[in-house]
Amino acid sequence: MFPEQITLELGKYVNDFIYWLNNNYGMVFDVICNGVRWLLLNIEWMLLLMPWWFLIALVFILGWRLKSLLSGVVFAVMLFIIGAFGLWEPTMSTLAIVLTAVFFSLLIGIPLGIYMSSRDSVALVLKPILDAMQTLPSFVYLIPAVILFNMGKVPGVFATMIYALPPIIRLTNLGLRRVSQEMVEAAQSFGSSSWQLLFRIKLPQALPTIMTGVNQTTMMALAMVVIAAMIGAGGIGHVVVTSINRIDIAGGTESGLAVVFLAIIIDRLTQGLGDRFNANLS
Amino acid sequence: MFNKKILIVLIVAAMLMTVSCAPMGGDELVLADAGWDSIQIHNGIASFIIENGYGYETRVLSGSTAMTFTSLREGSIDIYMETWQGNLKDSYDEGIESGDILELSVNYDDSRQGYYVPTFVIEGDPERGIEPMAPDLRRVDQLHDYWELFEDPEDPGRGRIVGSPPGWEVDLIMKGKVEGYGLEEHYNYFSPGSDTALATALVGAYEKGEPIVAYHWEPSWVMGMYDFTFLEEDGFDQGKWADGYTCITPAMPVTVVVNAELPEKAPDVVAFLENYQTSTALTNYALSYMHEHDAGTDEAALWFLREYEELWSEWVPEEIAGKVREALAQ
Repeated sequence: MFPEQITLELGKYVNDFIYWLNNNYGMVFDVICNGVRWLLLNIEWMLLLMPWWFLIALVFILGWRLKSLLSGVVFAVMLFIIGAFGLWEPTMSTLAIVLTAVFFSLLIGIPLGIYMSSRDSVALVLKPILDAMQTLPSFVYLIPAVILFNMGKVPGVFATMIYALPPIIRLTNLGLRRVSQEMVEAAQSFGSSSWQLLFRIKLPQALPTIMTGVNQTTMMALAMVVIAAMIGAGGIGHVVVTSINRIDIAGGTESGLAVVFLAIIIDRLTQGLGDRFNANLS
Repeated sequence: MFNKKILIVLIVAAMLMTVSCAPMGGDELVLADAGWDSIQIHNGIASFIIENGYGYETRVLSGSTAMTFTSLREGSIDIYMETWQGNLKDSYDEGIESGDILELSVNYDDSRQGYYVPTFVIEGDPERGIEPMAPDLRRVDQLHDYWELFEDPEDPGRGRIVGSPPGWEVDLIMKGKVEGYGLEEHYNYFSPGSDTALATALVGAYEKGEPIVAYHWEPSWVMGMYDFTFLEEDGFDQGKWADGYTCITPAMPVTVVVNAELPEKAPDVVAFLENYQTSTALTNYALSYMHEHDAGTDEAALWFLREYEELWSEWVPEEIAGKVREALAQ
């Protein structure tokens, strides 16, 4: 057995730190909250403003143009089934949370990925943090999040981001590091500045990998739908949680399938978008 | 060579069989741990008596309320010491009707649930420099006048009443009350998503000294540890209840439920559990003992057994009580 005399009460300090943050910097968190909330509520408002047939038609056209006619039809039918389950409104609410979380993840993740690819020391520090973000059991950080940000959609977005950020950072980093050295040297010998090098050479070369990151980030965001609902984010995850708590197999199946359908549609569409970029590139 | 291989396969298979069959051993009773403190204390009390008095092995299986309750119906859990039946009403009624589970006794039926506000909202807290924010707030229907105090951060211009975790039967009642009292005019009924988030929001608001009005229940560790005030409602009246639940929520019996096969497996334990009865107050004492002494649920259970010997002695035959006393003395 491990000797009892040796104890480390790290958790206690974290606990104190959270309350200290809360007491001293409550205002800062309020400002962050308001920004995220503004975007989220507007996206949701826009999604709910669209008539249902319009969105289904939009998904059909996107599916058709980006993938194939059959895909377009399948996606449209899936979205139609979600509506027929009576889950249209919660699905739109979830979509708004996912889109907001993805937007902020890309906003933070891509620059961070670029920075990470430029210095090995940054990568060394960031990697374990990214590992933690993906493996730390969610309620461990959700409880402090609820204390700092209250319950609701905004903390739901943060919870989603914690899980969705790592893929875009990792894959941006990977994509940039994989750009062939010869190409970089060629550009340098023609006298391009480091900004030109980044935007004209490296980023376009890394784009396919970054697009995979965008796709993965979106999928991770969808995976957090239920967890986010557990801190009051609402949406389709809320329907799932309600069904689980009621041991309601029927409701669970329908709401669970709705998440799956949403995931398939978003996955294929972002993938199709990525393929487009690739095709343009070559 | 070939025979050796077969032999090895057989041995491995036999080992696997014994491994997979081991937990099925007849003398072990499994108690459900749905994750909250009071059920763990009651588990501790019951297991101590079952192990030392009746000589069965006991084991605790942890999981969410829904999962543990499903296991109880299906048979991998034998005993559920604290069933908040209202929280899984359909499944509970179904289980009783189909004969999967048996309700043995009411553990306590003086639980209380409704809307709470931190007491500093009404009285202030001079120590922390908090002025009373709503000195006259006593009743749920008075919330009309205070929506600005409980403003919804995600919907400015309206108040937020934090309701029950989703899927609990009481969710409908609490939501119904908001409409019944006409509070939806100024308030949003906000679903906290899980009981963990609900407790965290209550504790968070309390620590920050911010106002909150939220659904909760007693006994619970939050109510035991922090000073909250229960918002009063009219006494129970069938007519008012039917008309938007505009009266006090009747106490929900918290029951001891077992799998239907337990009477065959351990009839003596069933006889003991049929007598098992405590109260909200007793459970609260055990909970506050835990928090005051920074003790675990097992220690709280032992404390309870030592403190309330007269009570539990009545649940079991004298001979069994003697054995339990002996074990306690050690």
